[in-house]
Amino acid sequence: MKILAKDKVAELLEKIAQQAEVYVPMAIEQGSGFYPWTEDNKNQPLLLDALNVYNSPKYILFPQTERMYDLKQQGQDLSIDQTHEDSSPRVIFGVRACDARALRSLDDVFLTRGFEDSFYKARRDNVTVIGNACYAPGANCFCEAMGVDLTEPEADVILRDAGNDGYIWESKTETGDKLTRAVAEFLNDKETKAPEAKSFQTQVDYDGVAEKLKGMFEHPLWEKMAEPCVNCGACTYICPSCHCFDIQVKMWGDSGYRFRCWDSCMYAEYSAEAGGGNPRPSGVERFRNRFLHKLEFFSERYGYSLCTGCGRCTIVCPAGVRITDIIKAIKEVDSSVGL
Amino acid sequence: MSDCNCEQPLVPHIVEVIDIVEETPDVKSFYVKSAGGGLPYQVMPGQCSMLSLPVGEGMFSCTWQEGQEYQQYAIKRVGLLTEELHQIEVGQKLGLRGPYGNGFPIAASRGKDMLFIAGGIGLAPLRSFIKHCFKNRSDYGKITIIYGSRSYNDLCFKKELFEEWPNQPDTEVHVTIDNPEEAWKGHVGFVPAYVEELAPDPAGKVSVTCGPPIMIKFALQSLQKLGFEDEQIVTTLEMRMKCGIGKCGRCNIGSQYICLDGPVFDLTQLKQLPQEW
Ligand SMILES: Cc1cc2nc3c(=O)[nH]c(=O)nc-3n(C[C@H](O)[C@H](O)[C@H](O)COP(=O)(O)OP(=O)(O)OC[C@H]3O[C@@H](n4cnc5c(N)ncnc54)[C@H](O)[C@@H]3O)c2cc1C
Ligand code: SF4
Ligand code: SF4
Ligand code: FES
Repeated sequence: MKILAKDKVAELLEKIAQQAEVYVPMAIEQGSGFYPWTEDNKNQPLLLDALNVYNSPKYILFPQTERMYDLKQQGQDLSIDQTHEDSSPRVIFGVRACDARALRSLDDVFLTRGFEDSFYKARRDNVTVIGNACYAPGANCFCEAMGVDLTEPEADVILRDAGNDGYIWESKTETGDKLTRAVAEFLNDKETKAPEAKSFQTQVDYDGVAEKLKGMFEHPLWEKMAEPCVNCGACTYICPSCHCFDIQVKMWGDSGYRFRCWDSCMYAEYSAEAGGGNPRPSGVERFRNRFLHKLEFFSERYGYSLCTGCGRCTIVCPAGVRITDIIKAIKEVDSSVGL
Repeated sequence: MSDCNCEQPLVPHIVEVIDIVEETPDVKSFYVKSAGGGLPYQVMPGQCSMLSLPVGEGMFSCTWQEGQEYQQYAIKRVGLLTEELHQIEVGQKLGLRGPYGNGFPIAASRGKDMLFIAGGIGLAPLRSFIKHCFKNRSDYGKITIIYGSRSYNDLCFKKELFEEWPNQPDTEVHVTIDNPEEAWKGHVGFVPAYVEELAPDPAGKVSVTCGPPIMIKFALQSLQKLGFEDEQIVTTLEMRMKCGIGKCGRCNIGSQYICLDGPVFDLTQLKQLPQEW
């Protein structure tokens, strides 16, 4: 099998960086996330051992703000001069299984059901994902309960940390094979074994929850669960699979551009309508919509949950809302109570 | 023929306004063709487009019939974009993308009697279906149109409403306004109550309702009272939209996106969705 020695990682990244923008999990100042491997960042600590970084790689394929096209208005004339699909080659190094699953859900949203989003597609078609298998799930992790195999990230290449022997390098796709050939000089052949995966500290049972939720839209449980939520939207911004966006414009006089930016279903303006109406007028309805989207609606539409079990929303929530508690509560409650 | 920008569904192409007609004090119709000439793209009755000026984009129902080299949009002035649209003049270039949505069940309604119920600007989307029925008159049975607005001035498409449609074969047009007016000799009252009063027989009919959400809610109740079955009750839903293609997440009801899976639903489908509309 192919092995990437740990002391070769920097050199390998250096080599890939000659052909592509490389993103790696790093700690920079107080934050951690996937940052570009640039001269400035190179001496920052790589976080390949840490379980998951604070910010997911979502923004690399779906930037928080993305310029779409340039507009010019002159008198009655209107023109679109340039669109900004970005097809630069990119490599994301060290993606955990939960975040790789989130990329699959972004793929399903942006690339299927009648329309392919050209901005997402340009980035997606030119990205290579190198996964990093997990063997010791963290305190807030529950990906397995959500149908994710922690040791098999859905990626082009999978790295498996075999301790002192280095990383086992397993190519999974043609894109992965291509990259493997390009970095062959840093890989050597050696037999070793990936560790056994440890068991999860957070135990959740999601089985049957999506189905059970079908009849629970009006359940009093929502009011109770939403009570602490202040609708700040932090959980939606940090979530690797939340994909909602707004479309806005920036104009200076006669020229400018239209862009999209992440939006949050936790905000009232998100669904406000003419005449002051809003189908989700209070925080409870917005809270319910978010968690039903994660736990029921998406799986009705695409066949699996939109929550990957990464645990990030639990960490950021200022009000102590835990999606795992929500799943448990739904699992346990009598679905007909109060209806 | 169609140059739908399917490769870049979020990027509009440029169209030119070739005519503007004032329908009511706050509704204008805009006729558009591609900036290069010709039809921007074909649309089915009930489908919509995103029309834009730099200030913003908005979803509007499109009226187009086979053979026409232009599309028509009837637009009510309610906010930022629509206010600016009401200021423009013929020759103005706009952004346009589409067509979006599923459209009305044209094929499934063939051979049926048609009952159209509209309120206010809601006649705009219905009108494309109504025109389709008249154009293919023998495909449809009796046509009944029930339409209402706040006042006489607010009635859209008066020429069709009072002159053209009532003279079509086997067609009834019933118009109502919310409050009495001196010159108005017709019916006064809300649309749903008028529907119950007219009590159309459900046998062999498809009803299609379009209007403000509150009118839709009551009209659907009236239809059920009159004995219409769920699958005979077709309506359109409206929610705030941004992308129009089922990606931005904004217009969901349960697992359905109104922009993509709707805006047209029948009551059987609506009953399977959360009551959030
Ligand atoms: C499927 C569909 C078909 C439509 N067809 C027509 C039509 O044929 N003719 C027509 O006049 N209007 C139609 N509308 C409504 C139209 O999209 C909005 O009135 C328009 O986008 C408002 O834009 P604005 O910038 O002028 O208003 P804004 O300044 O954005 O807002 C004014 C108010 O309208 C609300 N609003 C914005 N967009 C929408 C929206 N899409 N639906 C409801 N409220 C909204 C805002 O929250 C605000 O309260 C349709 C809407 C949908 C979803
Ligand atoms: S909902 Fe929470 S746990 Fe689930 S994927 Fe999003 S951030 Fe992670
Ligand atoms: S982070 Fe917590 S408080 Fe903020 S919107 Fe999400 S659940 Fe509500
Ligand atoms: S408008 Fe974006 S999902 Fe419907």
